[in-house]
Amino acid sequence: MDFANNPSFIRQGPSPGTRLAICVALSVALLVGDSQYGLMEYTRQGMSVLFYPLQRAINFPLVAARHADDFLTTQATLQAQNEILRRQQMVSAAKLQQLETQQREFEALRTLNQLKSVRQDASALAEILYSSRDPFSYKIIIDKGTDSHLEPGQPVVDDHGLIGQITRVQPLTAEVTLITDKTLMVPVMIQRTGLRAILYGYGGGVELRYLPSHADVKPGDLLITSGIDGLYPEGVPVAMVTRVERNPDTTFIRVTSFPTAGVDKGRFVLILNEKTHVPARPADPVVVVPKKSKPSQDDSTE
Amino acid sequence: MSFDRPKELLKPVRRRFIYLSFAVAVLFNLLPMPTDAVLWLPDFIAMLILYWVINQPRRVSIGTAFTLGIIADVACTGMFGQHALAYSITAYLALLRQRQLVMFNLGQQTLAVLALMFANQIIMVFARMATGSAFIGWSYFLPPLTGAILWPLLTKLLLLPYRQHKV
Repeated sequence: MDFANNPSFIRQGPSPGTRLAICVALSVALLVGDSQYGLMEYTRQGMSVLFYPLQRAINFPLVAARHADDFLTTQATLQAQNEILRRQQMVSAAKLQQLETQQREFEALRTLNQLKSVRQDASALAEILYSSRDPFSYKIIIDKGTDSHLEPGQPVVDDHGLIGQITRVQPLTAEVTLITDKTLMVPVMIQRTGLRAILYGYGGGVELRYLPSHADVKPGDLLITSGIDGLYPEGVPVAMVTRVERNPDTTFIRVTSFPTAGVDKGRFVLILNEKTHVPARPADPVVVVPKKSKPSQDDSTE
Repeated sequence: MSFDRPKELLKPVRRRFIYLSFAVAVLFNLLPMPTDAVLWLPDFIAMLILYWVINQPRRVSIGTAFTLGIIADVACTGMFGQHALAYSITAYLALLRQRQLVMFNLGQQTLAVLALMFANQIIMVFARMATGSAFIGWSYFLPPLTGAILWPLLTKLLLLPYRQHKV
Protein backbone atom coordinates (compact mmCIF):
# COMPACT_ATOMS: atom_id res chain seq x y z
CA MET A 1 0.00 0.00 0.00
CA ASP A 2 2.65 2.50 1.02
CA PHE A 3 4.81 2.90 -2.05
CA ALA A 4 7.75 5.24 -2.17
CA ASN A 5 6.39 7.05 -5.19
CA ASN A 6 2.97 7.71 -3.69
CA PRO A 7 2.11 11.37 -3.86
CA SER A 8 2.36 13.14 -0.52
CA PHE A 9 -1.37 13.58 -0.10
CA ILE A 10 -1.86 9.83 -0.02
CA ARG A 11 0.68 9.25 2.72
CA GLN A 12 -1.07 10.77 5.68
CA GLY A 13 0.13 8.63 8.56
CA PRO A 14 -2.34 6.76 10.76
CA SER A 15 -6.02 7.05 9.93
CA PRO A 16 -8.14 9.63 11.78
CA GLY A 17 -9.81 6.83 13.72
CA THR A 18 -6.49 5.54 15.03
CA ARG A 19 -5.36 9.04 15.95
CA LEU A 20 -8.62 9.69 17.74
CA ALA A 21 -8.29 6.43 19.65
CA ILE A 22 -4.76 7.34 20.78
CA CYS A 23 -5.75 10.88 21.80
CA VAL A 24 -8.88 9.76 23.63
CA ALA A 25 -6.95 7.07 25.48
CA LEU A 26 -4.32 9.62 26.50
CA SER A 27 -6.86 12.19 27.67
CA VAL A 28 -8.88 9.66 29.62
CA ALA A 29 -5.66 8.47 31.26
CA LEU A 30 -4.86 12.09 32.16
CA LEU A 31 -8.35 12.70 33.51
CA VAL A 32 -8.32 9.61 35.68
CA GLY A 33 -4.75 10.19 36.80
CA ASP A 34 -5.49 13.77 37.73
CA SER A 35 -8.86 13.36 39.39
CA GLN A 36 -8.37 10.06 41.17
CA TYR A 37 -4.68 9.90 41.98
CA GLY A 38 -3.50 13.51 41.76
CA LEU A 39 -0.59 12.48 39.58
CA MET A 40 -0.40 15.73 37.70
CA GLU A 41 0.40 18.01 40.67
CA TYR A 42 4.07 18.40 39.79
CA THR A 43 3.37 18.96 36.12
CA ARG A 44 0.83 21.58 37.07
CA GLN A 45 3.32 23.31 39.34
CA GLY A 46 5.97 23.35 36.66
CA MET A 47 3.52 24.63 34.09
CA SER A 48 2.28 27.33 36.44
CA VAL A 49 5.83 28.64 36.87
CA LEU A 50 6.20 28.69 33.09
CA PHE A 51 2.87 30.43 32.68
CA TYR A 52 3.46 32.99 35.43
CA PRO A 53 5.46 35.53 33.37
CA LEU A 54 2.97 35.15 30.55
CA GLN A 55 0.08 35.76 32.91
CA ARG A 56 1.83 38.76 34.40
CA ALA A 57 2.46 40.11 30.91
CA ILE A 58 -1.16 39.64 29.93
CA ASN A 59 -2.30 41.21 33.17
CA PHE A 60 0.05 44.14 32.69
CA PRO A 61 -2.26 46.44 30.70
CA LEU A 62 -5.00 45.92 33.28
CA VAL A 63 -2.68 46.58 36.20
CA ALA A 64 -1.27 49.62 34.42
CA ALA A 65 -4.77 50.96 33.83
CA ARG A 66 -5.59 50.40 37.49
CA HIS A 67 -2.46 52.26 38.57
CA ALA A 68 -3.22 55.09 36.20
CA ASP A 69 -6.72 55.23 37.63
CA ASP A 70 -5.31 55.31 41.16
CA PHE A 71 -2.91 58.07 40.16
CA LEU A 72 -5.54 60.22 38.55
CA THR A 73 -7.95 60.15 41.48
CA THR A 74 -9.19 63.65 42.06
CA GLN A 75 -8.46 65.67 45.14
CA ALA A 76 -12.12 65.73 46.08
CA THR A 77 -12.45 61.95 45.97
CA LEU A 78 -9.33 61.57 48.05
CA GLN A 79 -10.55 64.03 50.62
CA ALA A 80 -13.94 62.39 50.84
CA GLN A 81 -12.40 58.95 51.23
CA ASN A 82 -9.98 60.30 53.78
CA GLU A 83 -12.83 61.71 55.78
CA ILE A 84 -14.70 58.41 55.73
CA LEU A 85 -11.61 56.47 56.67
CA ARG A 86 -10.81 58.82 59.55
CA ARG A 87 -14.30 58.40 60.91
CA GLN A 88 -14.08 54.63 60.58
CA GLN A 89 -10.68 54.70 62.23
CA MET A 90 -12.11 56.60 65.22
CA VAL A 91 -14.95 54.18 65.60
CA SER A 92 -12.75 51.12 65.31
CA ALA A 93 -10.15 52.57 67.65
CA ALA A 94 -12.80 52.98 70.31
CA LYS A 95 -14.05 49.46 69.69
CA LEU A 96 -10.52 48.13 69.73
CA GLN A 97 -9.86 49.57 73.16
CA GLN A 98 -12.94 47.86 74.47
CA LEU A 99 -11.93 44.68 72.75
CA GLU A 100 -8.45 44.77 74.21
CA THR A 101 -9.75 45.03 77.75
CA GLN A 102 -12.19 42.25 77.11
CA GLN A 103 -9.55 40.11 75.50
CA ARG A 104 -7.25 40.57 78.47
CA GLU A 105 -10.05 39.50 80.78
CA PHE A 106 -10.82 36.59 78.53
CA GLU A 107 -7.18 35.47 78.47
CA ALA A 108 -7.03 35.73 82.23
CA LEU A 109 -10.17 33.65 82.54
CA ARG A 110 -8.82 31.10 80.13
CA THR A 111 -5.56 30.78 82.03
CA LEU A 112 -7.51 30.51 85.26
CA ASN A 113 -9.50 27.69 83.75
CA GLN A 114 -6.36 26.18 82.26
CA LEU A 115 -7.55 26.44 78.71
CA LYS A 116 -5.16 26.94 75.87
CA SER A 117 -5.00 30.51 74.67
CA VAL A 118 -6.23 31.28 71.24
CA ARG A 119 -4.55 33.80 69.06
CA GLN A 120 -4.31 34.25 65.35
CA ASP A 121 -2.22 36.65 63.42
CA ALA A 122 -2.72 37.60 59.88
CA SER A 123 -0.11 35.94 57.82
CA ALA A 124 -0.07 37.87 54.57
CA LEU A 125 -1.98 40.30 52.45
CA ALA A 126 -2.33 39.17 48.86
CA GLU A 127 -3.76 40.57 45.70
CA ILE A 128 -6.15 38.55 43.57
CA LEU A 129 -4.48 37.91 40.22
CA TYR A 130 -7.45 36.46 38.42
CA SER A 131 -10.27 34.07 38.97
CA SER A 132 -9.98 30.64 37.50
CA ARG A 133 -11.41 30.29 34.02
CA ASP A 134 -12.65 26.84 34.80
CA PRO A 135 -16.39 27.36 35.28
CA PHE A 136 -16.74 24.07 37.14
CA SER A 137 -14.71 25.17 40.12
CA TYR A 138 -14.87 28.34 42.16
CA LYS A 139 -11.29 29.34 42.69
CA ILE A 140 -9.14 32.42 42.63
CA ILE A 141 -5.43 32.76 42.11
CA ILE A 142 -3.50 35.12 44.39
CA ASP A 143 -0.06 36.60 43.91
CA LYS A 144 1.69 34.99 46.88
CA GLY A 145 2.90 31.44 47.12
CA THR A 146 5.71 29.42 48.60
CA ASP A 147 7.76 32.62 48.56
CA SER A 148 5.57 33.99 51.38
CA HIS A 149 5.47 30.67 53.27
CA LEU A 150 1.85 30.00 52.49
CA GLU A 151 0.59 26.51 53.07
CA PRO A 152 -2.41 24.60 51.85
CA GLY A 153 -5.20 24.79 54.41
CA GLN A 154 -4.79 28.39 55.52
CA PRO A 155 -8.06 30.33 55.74
CA VAL A 156 -8.48 33.38 53.53
CA VAL A 157 -10.68 36.34 54.52
CA ASP A 158 -11.54 39.78 53.25
CA ASP A 159 -12.92 42.72 55.19
CA HIS A 160 -16.42 41.25 55.36
CA GLY A 161 -15.76 37.64 56.19
CA LEU A 162 -14.46 34.29 55.11
CA ILE A 163 -13.65 33.81 51.43
CA GLY A 164 -12.20 30.34 51.38
CA GLN A 165 -9.14 28.26 51.94
CA ILE A 166 -5.80 27.87 50.21
CA THR A 167 -5.76 24.57 48.40
CA ARG A 168 -2.70 24.64 46.21
CA VAL A 169 0.50 26.53 46.67
CA GLN A 170 2.77 27.13 43.76
CA PRO A 171 6.15 28.87 43.88
CA LEU A 172 4.79 32.34 43.11
CA THR A 173 1.04 31.96 43.23
CA ALA A 174 -1.51 30.15 45.30
CA GLU A 175 -4.97 28.86 44.54
CA VAL A 176 -7.80 29.70 46.90
CA THR A 177 -10.89 27.52 46.80
CA LEU A 178 -13.87 29.71 47.56
CA ILE A 179 -16.53 28.69 50.07
CA THR A 180 -18.97 28.47 47.16
CA ASP A 181 -17.02 25.59 45.63
CA LYS A 182 -18.61 22.19 45.82
CA THR A 183 -15.66 20.62 47.60
CA LEU A 184 -15.50 23.10 50.47
CA MET A 185 -17.34 22.77 53.76
CA VAL A 186 -17.13 25.16 56.68
CA PRO A 187 -18.17 24.33 60.23
CA VAL A 188 -20.30 27.28 61.28
CA MET A 189 -22.39 28.45 64.17
CA ILE A 190 -25.49 30.60 64.13
CA GLN A 191 -24.41 33.74 65.92
CA ARG A 192 -27.77 34.37 67.58
CA THR A 193 -28.31 30.92 69.04
CA GLY A 194 -24.93 29.22 68.96
CA LEU A 195 -26.37 26.32 67.03
CA ARG A 196 -23.63 24.50 65.18
CA ALA A 197 -23.96 23.31 61.62
CA ILE A 198 -21.93 22.71 58.54
CA LEU A 199 -22.08 25.07 55.60
CA TYR A 200 -21.73 23.40 52.23
CA GLY A 201 -20.74 25.10 49.03
CA TYR A 202 -22.73 23.83 46.09
CA GLY A 203 -21.07 25.60 43.20
CA GLY A 204 -22.05 29.23 43.10
CA GLY A 205 -23.57 29.51 46.55
CA VAL A 206 -23.64 28.14 50.06
CA GLU A 207 -26.29 26.32 52.03
CA LEU A 208 -26.79 24.81 55.44
CA ARG A 209 -27.62 21.16 55.32
CA TYR A 210 -28.85 18.59 57.78
CA LEU A 211 -30.53 20.93 60.22
CA PRO A 212 -33.57 19.29 61.82
CA SER A 213 -36.91 20.88 61.03
CA HIS A 214 -37.33 22.23 64.56
CA ALA A 215 -33.98 24.09 64.44
CA ASP A 216 -34.12 27.73 65.41
CA VAL A 217 -33.07 29.53 62.24
CA LYS A 218 -34.48 32.78 60.91
CA PRO A 219 -33.77 34.81 57.81
CA GLY A 220 -31.17 37.41 58.70
CA ASP A 221 -29.20 35.15 61.01
CA LEU A 222 -25.46 35.51 60.69
CA LEU A 223 -23.40 32.38 60.34
CA ILE A 224 -19.92 32.59 61.83
CA THR A 225 -17.16 30.04 61.95
CA SER A 226 -17.43 27.87 65.01
CA GLY A 227 -13.74 27.17 65.27
CA ILE A 228 -14.17 23.57 66.34
CA ASP A 229 -12.43 22.28 63.25
CA GLY A 230 -8.97 23.37 64.31
CA LEU A 231 -8.60 25.29 61.10
CA TYR A 232 -10.68 28.41 60.90
CA PRO A 233 -10.48 30.89 63.76
CA GLU A 234 -13.75 31.40 65.67
CA GLY A 235 -16.10 34.22 64.92
CA VAL A 236 -15.32 35.01 61.32
CA PRO A 237 -18.58 35.88 59.53
CA VAL A 238 -19.29 33.46 56.71
CA ALA A 239 -22.82 33.81 55.42
CA MET A 240 -26.18 35.39 56.03
CA VAL A 241 -29.34 33.30 56.04
CA THR A 242 -31.76 34.60 53.43
CA ARG A 243 -34.59 32.10 53.42
CA VAL A 244 -35.75 29.20 55.54
CA GLU A 245 -38.14 26.63 54.10
CA ARG A 246 -39.78 24.24 56.50
CA ASN A 247 -41.38 21.37 54.72
CA PRO A 248 -43.10 18.90 57.03
CA ASP A 249 -42.50 16.08 54.54
CA THR A 250 -38.75 16.23 54.81
CA THR A 251 -36.53 15.59 57.79
CA PHE A 252 -34.34 18.62 57.27
CA ILE A 253 -35.07 22.27 56.63
CA ARG A 254 -33.87 24.03 53.55
CA VAL A 255 -31.77 27.05 54.42
CA THR A 256 -30.63 29.37 51.69
CA SER A 257 -27.83 31.77 52.47
CA PHE A 258 -25.34 34.00 50.76
CA PRO A 259 -21.71 34.65 51.63
CA THR A 260 -21.04 37.89 53.51
CA ALA A 261 -17.59 38.30 52.03
CA GLY A 262 -17.09 39.52 48.50
CA VAL A 263 -16.44 36.05 47.20
CA ASP A 264 -16.42 37.14 43.58
CA LYS A 265 -15.36 40.73 43.92
CA GLY A 266 -12.67 42.72 45.66
CA ARG A 267 -9.00 43.02 45.00
CA PHE A 268 -7.16 42.15 48.21
CA VAL A 269 -7.47 39.23 50.56
CA LEU A 270 -5.94 38.47 53.90
CA ILE A 271 -4.47 35.06 54.62
CA LEU A 272 -4.72 33.94 58.22
CA ASN A 273 -2.60 31.43 60.03
CA GLU A 274 -4.10 28.12 60.84
CA LYS A 275 -5.22 27.74 64.42
CA THR A 276 -2.38 26.97 66.73
CA HIS A 277 -2.66 25.07 70.01
CA VAL A 278 -4.81 22.42 68.51
CA PRO A 279 -4.76 19.37 70.74
CA ALA A 280 -3.04 16.37 69.25
CA ARG A 281 -5.15 14.22 67.04
CA PRO A 282 -6.56 11.32 69.03
CA ALA A 283 -5.71 7.81 67.96
CA ASP A 284 -8.02 6.52 65.26
CA PRO A 285 -10.98 4.75 66.82
CA VAL A 286 -11.96 1.31 65.68
CA VAL A 287 -15.24 2.53 64.24
CA VAL A 288 -14.74 4.62 61.14
CA VAL A 289 -16.12 8.11 61.75
CA PRO A 290 -16.90 10.20 58.70
CA LYS A 291 -14.45 13.08 58.61
CA LYS A 292 -16.09 16.43 58.17
CA SER A 293 -14.00 19.22 59.51
CA LYS A 294 -11.22 19.53 56.97
CA PRO A 295 -12.10 19.43 53.31
CA SER A 296 -9.81 17.61 50.97
CA GLN A 297 -6.81 19.47 49.70
CA ASP A 298 -7.28 18.87 46.02
CA ASP A 299 -10.31 19.49 43.90
CA SER A 300 -11.07 15.85 43.48
CA THR A 301 -14.31 14.34 44.59
CA GLU A 302 -15.16 13.89 48.19
CA MET B 1 -5.91 22.09 -1.55
CA SER B 2 -9.24 22.94 -0.10
CA PHE B 3 -12.08 24.42 -2.08
CA ASP B 4 -12.61 27.63 -0.28
CA ARG B 5 -15.92 29.32 -0.32
CA PRO B 6 -14.83 32.61 -1.83
CA LYS B 7 -14.74 32.26 -5.56
CA GLU B 8 -11.30 33.70 -5.80
CA LEU B 9 -7.83 32.34 -5.73
CA LEU B 10 -6.16 32.48 -2.35
CA LYS B 11 -2.51 32.45 -1.51
CA PRO B 12 -1.33 29.25 0.22
CA VAL B 13 -1.66 29.43 4.00
CA ARG B 14 1.61 29.67 5.88
CA ARG B 15 2.25 27.37 8.80
CA ARG B 16 3.48 30.38 10.73
CA PHE B 17 0.08 32.02 10.40
CA ILE B 18 -1.70 28.97 11.80
CA TYR B 19 0.59 28.88 14.84
CA LEU B 20 0.23 32.61 15.34
CA SER B 21 -3.56 32.38 15.33
CA PHE B 22 -3.46 29.61 17.94
CA ALA B 23 -1.04 31.60 20.09
CA VAL B 24 -3.37 34.60 20.01
CA ALA B 25 -6.30 32.40 21.01
CA VAL B 26 -4.38 30.92 23.96
CA LEU B 27 -3.30 34.39 25.11
CA PHE B 28 -6.88 35.53 24.86
CA ASN B 29 -7.87 32.67 27.14
CA LEU B 30 -5.34 33.86 29.70
CA LEU B 31 -6.79 37.37 29.79
CA PRO B 32 -8.33 38.23 33.13
CA MET B 33 -12.03 38.53 32.45
CA PRO B 34 -14.89 39.50 34.70
CA THR B 35 -16.91 36.46 35.71
CA ASP B 36 -19.93 37.57 33.69
CA ALA B 37 -17.89 37.73 30.51
CA VAL B 38 -16.61 34.19 30.97
CA LEU B 39 -20.23 33.03 30.89
CA TRP B 40 -20.82 34.05 27.31
CA LEU B 41 -17.38 34.44 25.73
CA PRO B 42 -16.87 31.70 23.17
CA ASP B 43 -14.00 29.26 23.35
CA PHE B 44 -11.69 30.78 20.76
CA ILE B 45 -9.26 27.87 20.80
CA ALA B 46 -12.05 25.46 19.86
CA MET B 47 -13.27 27.80 17.13
CA LEU B 48 -9.80 28.11 15.62
CA ILE B 49 -9.28 24.35 15.76
CA LEU B 50 -12.56 23.89 13.91
CA TYR B 51 -11.62 26.56 11.38
CA TRP B 52 -8.25 25.03 10.58
CA VAL B 53 -9.54 21.46 10.62
CA ILE B 54 -12.19 22.42 8.10
CA ASN B 55 -9.92 24.50 5.91
CA GLN B 56 -6.51 22.86 6.33
CA PRO B 57 -7.26 19.29 7.38
CA ARG B 58 -3.86 18.01 6.36
CA ARG B 59 -2.00 20.40 8.62
CA VAL B 60 -4.28 20.70 11.61
CA SER B 61 -5.98 17.56 12.73
CA ILE B 62 -6.60 15.48 15.82
CA GLY B 63 -3.02 15.57 17.13
CA THR B 64 -2.91 19.36 17.05
CA ALA B 65 -6.33 19.55 18.69
CA PHE B 66 -5.11 17.28 21.48
CA THR B 67 -1.95 19.35 22.07
CA LEU B 68 -3.95 22.56 22.20
CA GLY B 69 -6.38 20.88 24.55
CA ILE B 70 -3.54 20.15 26.98
CA ILE B 71 -2.44 23.80 26.76
CA ALA B 72 -6.02 24.94 27.41
CA ASP B 73 -6.21 22.60 30.40
CA VAL B 74 -3.12 24.17 31.92
CA ALA B 75 -4.32 27.69 31.13
CA CYS B 76 -7.70 27.33 32.80
CA THR B 77 -6.36 25.44 35.84
CA GLY B 78 -9.10 22.89 35.42
CA MET B 79 -8.58 19.19 35.19
CA PHE B 80 -5.95 17.69 32.93
CA GLY B 81 -7.40 15.98 29.88
CA GLN B 82 -10.79 17.65 29.88
CA HIS B 83 -10.20 20.04 26.99
CA ALA B 84 -7.85 17.59 25.31
CA LEU B 85 -10.58 14.95 25.17
CA ALA B 86 -13.24 17.36 23.94
CA TYR B 87 -11.05 19.01 21.31
CA SER B 88 -9.79 15.71 19.86
CA ILE B 89 -13.28 14.26 19.54
CA THR B 90 -14.66 17.48 18.04
CA ALA B 91 -11.77 17.66 15.59
CA TYR B 92 -12.48 14.06 14.59
CA LEU B 93 -16.18 14.79 14.06
CA ALA B 94 -15.30 17.80 11.91
CA LEU B 95 -12.77 15.74 9.99
CA LEU B 96 -15.35 13.05 9.23
CA ARG B 97 -17.44 15.55 7.28
CA GLN B 98 -14.66 17.92 6.29
CA ARG B 99 -15.20 17.56 2.53
CA GLN B 100 -18.82 18.51 2.98
CA LEU B 101 -18.24 21.26 5.48
CA VAL B 102 -15.73 23.04 3.32
CA MET B 103 -18.25 23.23 0.45
CA PHE B 104 -20.96 24.74 2.62
CA ASN B 105 -21.64 28.44 2.46
CA LEU B 106 -21.12 30.48 5.59
CA GLY B 107 -24.69 30.11 6.86
CA GLN B 108 -24.70 26.35 6.60
CA GLN B 109 -21.22 26.19 8.03
CA THR B 110 -22.32 28.28 11.01
CA LEU B 111 -25.02 25.76 11.83
CA ALA B 112 -22.57 22.87 11.54
CA VAL B 113 -20.08 24.69 13.76
CA LEU B 114 -22.80 25.36 16.29
CA ALA B 115 -23.53 21.65 16.48
CA LEU B 116 -19.84 20.81 16.78
CA MET B 117 -19.29 23.34 19.56
CA PHE B 118 -22.31 21.99 21.40
CA ALA B 119 -20.76 18.55 21.12
CA ASN B 120 -17.55 20.02 22.50
CA GLN B 121 -19.33 21.48 25.55
CA ILE B 122 -21.30 18.28 26.13
CA ILE B 123 -18.12 16.20 26.16
CA MET B 124 -16.54 18.58 28.66
CA VAL B 125 -19.60 18.48 30.91
CA PHE B 126 -19.59 14.69 30.80
CA ALA B 127 -15.88 14.51 31.51
CA ARG B 128 -16.28 16.76 34.55
CA MET B 129 -19.42 15.07 35.81
CA ALA B 130 -17.73 11.69 35.50
CA THR B 131 -14.93 12.96 37.70
CA GLY B 132 -17.27 14.30 40.35
CA SER B 133 -18.24 17.89 39.58
CA ALA B 134 -21.83 18.99 39.80
CA PHE B 135 -23.79 20.00 36.72
CA ILE B 136 -23.21 23.71 36.35
CA GLY B 137 -26.38 24.81 34.68
CA TRP B 138 -27.53 25.50 31.17
CA SER B 139 -25.61 28.74 30.91
CA TYR B 140 -22.61 26.58 30.09
CA PHE B 141 -24.12 26.06 26.65
CA LEU B 142 -24.27 29.77 25.88
CA PRO B 143 -20.69 30.16 24.55
CA PRO B 144 -21.31 27.92 21.50
CA LEU B 145 -24.15 30.25 20.48
CA THR B 146 -22.00 33.37 20.61
CA GLY B 147 -19.24 31.39 18.95
CA ALA B 148 -21.53 30.45 16.07
CA ILE B 149 -22.60 34.08 15.68
CA LEU B 150 -18.96 35.07 15.47
CA TRP B 151 -18.06 32.30 13.02
CA PRO B 152 -18.62 34.22 9.75
CA LEU B 153 -16.61 37.11 11.16
CA LEU B 154 -13.77 34.81 12.17
CA THR B 155 -13.75 33.22 8.72
CA LYS B 156 -13.58 36.59 6.98
CA LEU B 157 -10.88 37.76 9.36
CA LEU B 158 -8.65 34.74 8.87
CA LEU B 159 -9.02 34.97 5.09
CA LEU B 160 -7.92 38.62 5.02
CA PRO B 161 -4.16 38.06 4.78
CA TYR B 162 -4.67 35.63 1.92
CA ARG B 163 -6.85 37.50 -0.47
CA GLN B 164 -4.75 40.56 -1.27
CA HIS B 165 -3.35 39.97 -4.71
CA LYS B 166 -0.71 42.01 -6.32
CA VAL B 167 -1.68 41.45 -9.92
